[in-house]
Amino acid sequence: MQVDVVLFAHFSGFQPDGKGGRHARTFELAEGTTIADVIAMIGLPDEPRVIFVNSRHAPEERELRQGDRLAIFPPVAGG
Amino acid sequence: MIAPDTLDLHPHRPDEVSVPVPDTALDPELRARLRGCTVAIIGCGGLGSNVAEMLVRSGVGRLTLVDFDVVDERNLNRQFFFRDQIGMPKVIALAENLQRIRSDVRLDLLQDRVTPENLLGVVRGACAIVEAVDDAGAKAMIVNTCLAEVPSVPLVTASGLAGYGSTNAIVTERMAENLYVVGDLTSDVRDGHPLFASRVMAAAAAQAHAVVRVLLGYPEP
Repeated sequence: MQVDVVLFAHFSGFQPDGKGGRHARTFELAEGTTIADVIAMIGLPDEPRVIFVNSRHAPEERELRQGDRLAIFPPVAGG
Repeated sequence: MIAPDTLDLHPHRPDEVSVPVPDTALDPELRARLRGCTVAIIGCGGLGSNVAEMLVRSGVGRLTLVDFDVVDERNLNRQFFFRDQIGMPKVIALAENLQRIRSDVRLDLLQDRVTPENLLGVVRGACAIVEAVDDAGAKAMIVNTCLAEVPSVPLVTASGLAGYGSTNAIVTERMAENLYVVGDLTSDVRDGHPLFASRVMAAAAAQAHAVVRVLLGYPEP
């Protein structure tokens, strides 16, 4: 299945093509792949992250589906 | 919540009613729309206290204010508090200041930390939510919970407002259907960047304006 993956801020450097940028990359994934699997696959650091699939938050154990748009954003401290 | 009617918010002028003259260039229907809205502001520090001030001046009718902390002398370089309020709970000091701007604003106050357990009670009935806490983990929790549980309510969060960087780097981005992110996305206080009133308040202004635009029906930043 194909899933679009968007990584914001410094997470964008973890896109597999290494080119950074916030545009979506299309991942070819096996059925049953979870968000946690994608995070492990691209090696995101263990820090606070906002995760949404198709504009709605999804837990990391959620299985992705064909056509999903997964976005991950690392908020930074300060307020 | 602390019931606002239990607070003595007008210790010096109890009978004075203060309502700013409305901007007549704003259509009365739109003015009424702002007045009919409730905005939940989570965190009343550098971002939240200034967002609250701007929303009250803009005519938003009701705010829910949440913060666990008390006013500290070190807050006065960027937060909407005054020296004689040091030691007061921030939500109470802020309520006092906001009601000096317009005495008819309705305020619901909670002096507590926001948790996954109490968050939905805080944002219930809100037309928009402002995330204005300082801790990155708390920011992620608030945004994730709101995107999961109240995805139809616009949420304006902030990320990246510390340091000397240009205010031109602070942008408002619509990352998802109802998620607006204000900031440069990178400058982190944990990296030792100082917090300047000018840059923090630029981010607060961008958050407040995103709320006003959304409430008036302009969803794009």
